[in-house]
Amino acid sequence: MDPDTPEPSGLRIPDLKIPGLLKLTADRRKALATAAAAVVAIAVLLVGGMVFVSFHEGQQVAAFNSHVSASEADLFLVSGKITSHMRTPTNDLSVAECDAHVREFAAIANYGRAVTAYHRRIVAVDAVPEAYAGAQSAYVRALDNLNRAFTFWSSAASAYEVRDYNAANRNIAEADKAWQEYNAAITDYDRELRVVEEGPEVPPA
Amino acid sequence: MEWKDVLPVLVGGLVILVVALVVKPALLGEPIGFASSGSVPAGDPPVYVPPAPVPTATPFPDDGEAYTRSFRWTAIDGGVRTTEVRVPEALFLTHRGTSRFSDYNSWGRYALADADRPLLEDLAHRIAPPAANPDEGYFRLMNLVFFVQQIPYDRDDNTTSYIEGVLPSHAMYVKDGVEYPKYSVETLVDGRGDCEDAAILMGGLLDALGYDTVLLRYSDHMALGIRMNEFNPYYAKYTPRHFMYGGQHYYYVEGTDFDWGNISVGSTAIWGRPHPIGDTSGTGIPSVQSETPQIIPLRYVPEPGEYQIRPVRLPAGGA
Repeated sequence: MDPDTPEPSGLRIPDLKIPGLLKLTADRRKALATAAAAVVAIAVLLVGGMVFVSFHEGQQVAAFNSHVSASEADLFLVSGKITSHMRTPTNDLSVAECDAHVREFAAIANYGRAVTAYHRRIVAVDAVPEAYAGAQSAYVRALDNLNRAFTFWSSAASAYEVRDYNAANRNIAEADKAWQEYNAAITDYDRELRVVEEGPEVPPA
Repeated sequence: MEWKDVLPVLVGGLVILVVALVVKPALLGEPIGFASSGSVPAGDPPVYVPPAPVPTATPFPDDGEAYTRSFRWTAIDGGVRTTEVRVPEALFLTHRGTSRFSDYNSWGRYALADADRPLLEDLAHRIAPPAANPDEGYFRLMNLVFFVQQIPYDRDDNTTSYIEGVLPSHAMYVKDGVEYPKYSVETLVDGRGDCEDAAILMGGLLDALGYDTVLLRYSDHMALGIRMNEFNPYYAKYTPRHFMYGGQHYYYVEGTDFDWGNISVGSTAIWGRPHPIGDTSGTGIPSVQSETPQIIPLRYVPEPGEYQIRPVRLPAGGA
């Protein structure tokens, strides 16, 4: 040993390796990774779930939309037949023309009954988000009332065929009532839809 | 973090998706995948089926057997008029063999019977020929009214009211006796009838001339209502009676002449005083003076008051 450079025996750097600490660090890293994985998993589940629920509800509303749209398209055709029929002046028809007019009325009534029953069956079983349940219920009620009105029209036409004009008039009066209930149901439907889509601050219709 | 840590998360998500999109729909019978649940197989939408056409009446041949009837009446100018009516026998027998409606509301059909129409149009134009001067419209109308009023009155339960001399097979036996509303040509062939027969004939003739009329039904009588905007002639010593229907004025017109009487004892000649339009006091029928009649339009079709289908807004969320 060189005496000029004596080895300071008292200053030996101790071995700083702490095996326990190293082990702890490795465990912590694993724990952190696991926790992060769990957080990611939960986040993925949450976000995925929310996206899925939102997508699913969107799909339900889209289906409801398409069913109401199809119903409205068919009702538009019925409405066209009714409007054309009602425009026919009846003040100078012959007896045969009166009979033909009422037969057409009966055919429109049967058409209206079939259309409303068909679309009611479809719209009523639509699975819709809870927020749309009120609108769906009101629309189904509207179709029911319209169906009832057409049934009374049909009965009025049958009464005419057997020349029971009093019964025909009674059926027409009942049909008018059912039609008013249809109007009320459509007003409810519009209001429910506006509440869902524009918020609860919607003024009453 | 390593891939082996992320893998279970991805697998878990995949399992959830498979359960949500495949297993649950399969168990509940819903469509698999992202298709909406709740739709039902409903078949094709209904289509409009047009009504069967109303069968058109076969015209009765003019060259077959027919009843010819002569009529003589006093017109509004005091002159005596005559005319002849030829009714195909087949038409008359068809009507006689047709059952009657017990509901008064449908009696307008007897006035407007399609098979009678050509004959009534011809007769109406002979009784009240078209005039160039529109002021003569009132005289045309009154000539037609006078013609009907001078057809002898006979009750439904009286066999003399029918050319066969017996009650028709479709006569209806009601509480007060017999009811048998005649088609217009039946009244013409029989040459007589009661109040509803006269109202029906007058309604048919006036309709053929383009007048709007209704039947006025009282508890024991039937007359006609004719639509006029205003009828208040200066010479009338009465207030013309009218009734409102559909926002229009219908003035009372008597179809029978209850003032018939023999000119003198033992004479078969008779005289009568026609009833002017709106004169109810001259009829001498208490119900006409005290009751408000039921108004029966000649034409009837069921007419709903409500028929507008309202278009609705569509749910926007899923559009």
